[in-house]
Amino acid sequence: MKLELHATPEEVMRAVDTLRDFARAQCVSEKTVFDLALALEECASNIINHAFKRDASQKFSVTFDCNGSEMFVELRDSGPCFDPTRVECKAPANEDDPPGGWGIQLVHYYMDALQYTRDGNENVLRLTKRLTRHAGTT
Amino acid sequence: MTLDIQIQDGVVAASATTTVKLSGSLDTVTAPELERHLAPLLAKQGGVKELVFDLAQLKFISSAGLRVFASARKQLKERGGQASFIHLQPQIREVFDIIKALPGVAVFQDIDELDRYLAARQRSHTEK
Repeated sequence: MKLELHATPEEVMRAVDTLRDFARAQCVSEKTVFDLALALEECASNIINHAFKRDASQKFSVTFDCNGSEMFVELRDSGPCFDPTRVECKAPANEDDPPGGWGIQLVHYYMDALQYTRDGNENVLRLTKRLTRHAGTT
Repeated sequence: MTLDIQIQDGVVAASATTTVKLSGSLDTVTAPELERHLAPLLAKQGGVKELVFDLAQLKFISSAGLRVFASARKQLKERGGQASFIHLQPQIREVFDIIKALPGVAVFQDIDELDRYLAARQRSHTEK
């Protein structure tokens, strides 16, 4: 399944809701649905906020795929070359300041693999999640 | 998924407390809505000191939502107040734990535990 999206928060959440429906159709656990939704929200938000600076005229794409034991989410954008897998999570200067890199830290935690490539003028980020399914399903 | 925000004034352990009940999804779309609701509560003039976030019905949170909490906590602390969190669902608690978003944050199982904490803190302040 492939979605073409404008660079807006509403479109990010449209993609997240579509991914939830797609994952539930694969009978994966609600915990896995949560993990996938959070990872996609963080990665797509990075695209609209940083790559496209909230320029709603810009577009990016999200593709979902499942091979039975793993689910794949691929994000493509034409923003400046940026590899989020190399982002360092900076510690806050003091306990009341938010540190940088919260989003990518969550993505690393919830996904089993992150792979970045530059394909022509596009950033391609591929997320892989091993699936756990509802009890009673295979 | 949307975010429902209910704000109630009350008293916990003899302290004027404002409770913010969140239901649904605190994400990149809804986090600005929460910020707008919190703005008058966090105003330097007429704002509150004790803010309790009741997350019993919060199903989803992302870093956009955590940043709103972190900002509220910082503003309250600057005026000697505090943000507390009760009824975190396991998936929400896990997100808090992973990134240690709010170090030293006051997280309680329920209102009774918060009540005991605030009462003890008041006794401590009275004895000083």
